[in-house]
Amino acid sequence: MNAQLEKMSAPGPGRRYGVIAFAVVSAGFLLFVLARLMFAEAFVGKAYDPHAVPFMMEGKPAPLFSMKDLRTGELVNLKDYIGRPIVLNFWATWCGPCKMEHPVLEWAQRQYKDDVVFIGIVFEDNEENTKKFLLENGGSWRQLYDPKSTVAVDYAVAGVPETYFIDKRGTIVGKYAYPIDPKTITTRIEEILK
Amino acid sequence: MISFALMLSLVVNQGYAPARPAVDPLDQTREKRVMRLGKKFRCAVCQGVAISDSPASMARAQLDKVRELVAEDKTDDEIETYFVARYGEWVLLDPRKEGLNAFLWVGPLMLLVAGLVIIMSQVKKKAATAPVPVEAPVSDDFLAQVRADLEK
Repeated sequence: MNAQLEKMSAPGPGRRYGVIAFAVVSAGFLLFVLARLMFAEAFVGKAYDPHAVPFMMEGKPAPLFSMKDLRTGELVNLKDYIGRPIVLNFWATWCGPCKMEHPVLEWAQRQYKDDVVFIGIVFEDNEENTKKFLLENGGSWRQLYDPKSTVAVDYAVAGVPETYFIDKRGTIVGKYAYPIDPKTITTRIEEILK
Repeated sequence: MISFALMLSLVVNQGYAPARPAVDPLDQTREKRVMRLGKKFRCAVCQGVAISDSPASMARAQLDKVRELVAEDKTDDEIETYFVARYGEWVLLDPRKEGLNAFLWVGPLMLLVAGLVIIMSQVKKKAATAPVPVEAPVSDDFLAQVRADLEK
């Protein structure tokens, strides 16, 4: 009787492989789903940061724009600056980290003004606030006014401050989505100077 | 009290974007399209909120971009491509059901079918090899003795 029972419940080799294959495929699928959920950024080759917004503009031509200079009122075309490396900074007076990085930009601008074009684009702010801020805090590089933030969205801005590095060919080499520090800005500028 | 309120307003005002200049809405049909499209895209600074549902200045800026593209008579696909080219598929609140994403939709169904096939084949095999129940004769002397003793 025991032998009979054993014979009944013992799975044949084919059946056993089927069950194992099914278990392996199911486990693999679950792992895949979990990995995709947890390490979404790893799939696009970036370090994991839950708040990071994917940035797809790297290596793409910098979107052209023409905007009003906050101080002089003249129309500034990005096209006129292609051929020189450009540092494009999106910022606002209401943004604390932007105030922190302001002296860094001021310093970098003094260091590299002969080789690199510095352009500030004011994001979601008004002219009055910006002019007042610049009078109080200095900053002699060009400041452009983007009243509807259309240029910011063209550049895939995901908050301020963000600093874009554009090479001589007008290609976006990368962006820095945090308040910039002297070391980072130097390294990034050296990259676009090549 | 007034000075406290003023101070509070100073603190509270810090870190907020000033009211942005009003944007002229488009005509009713096109504005409806703007709002419908706005539901599809994720605001860049929020946690999983659509740009038409968020009061964040970034979301307003993105919605204005949608409005601008709608005003230029761009198709829904072109507008979607514009956002995906910038923020990746991350920007779509309802991701495209193609490529690896399709696997997430088809995968569970495939596993369900595979599971059913395995269960069916096992049930069939069991039915085919099921033994005919036989009355096993008791041949154990000890057991017979015990039964006999119990009946005493």
